[in-house]
Amino acid sequence: MTSRIELKLPSQMAYLGIPDAVLMEIGSDLDCPREIIEELGTAVIEACTNAMEHGNGLDSAQAVELHIDVNRDRIVVAVLDHGRGFDYANWQPASDILRERGRGILIMREFTDQLDYDRTPDGRFRVRLVKRLARAE
Amino acid sequence: MKIKERRRDGIAILDISGNLMGGPDADAFNEVLRTLMHEGVRNFIVNLEKVRWVNSTGLGILISGYTTVKRAGGELKLLKITKRIENIFIVSKLSTVFHAFEDENEALRSFA
Repeated sequence: MTSRIELKLPSQMAYLGIPDAVLMEIGSDLDCPREIIEELGTAVIEACTNAMEHGNGLDSAQAVELHIDVNRDRIVVAVLDHGRGFDYANWQPASDILRERGRGILIMREFTDQLDYDRTPDGRFRVRLVKRLARAE
Repeated sequence: MKIKERRRDGIAILDISGNLMGGPDADAFNEVLRTLMHEGVRNFIVNLEKVRWVNSTGLGILISGYTTVKRAGGELKLLKITKRIENIFIVSKLSTVFHAFEDENEALRSFA
């Protein structure tokens, strides 16, 4: 059985902590290591940062929407914005280690088990982050 | 994000609390660095003990501070990184750039 929680955030960085707090609360009721939820929270913060900044241009009138689907063995978070989107599949990090930007997708990839993206029927860009609730054997 | 500044042995210790996430945080952090460097401070310890999370733009703030201080002949080091934040430094390979310490006295001695 899947439980869905939906959030709508104004596109302002000040709200980035809300999905993280919600995930921590969800995680407190699940039988899984806290580190797994923290990793998902970190990846979702990056997805929301991209959605707010690049997707919605930090226009607080444009909402970033999150659908958090909690299953027995995994959590799937979809982050939707109104932007053109990223080519997540072909993105490669720059080699300059002291670059000040351009680590968000790397962090999302590293801290999730699956990361994919598409466009919704109403034209919004959607990133899906999948996190298994148990470490792979 | 909040920044409290204190000094020990001529080294500025910046105690950060809250979340480190770019935007206004970048301006606030850069302003503190600029002011202290104008006063002649060259070496900095950024205490992240009370930071809940950092995003990639927050990492950019620390990198910008690191390079600014380095260019001026000083050093910027980190103190008390939580496990959660440490994992971000590891995957982004920034753990190979920043010196991080668990103990404040040890961090201070490292500047000697």
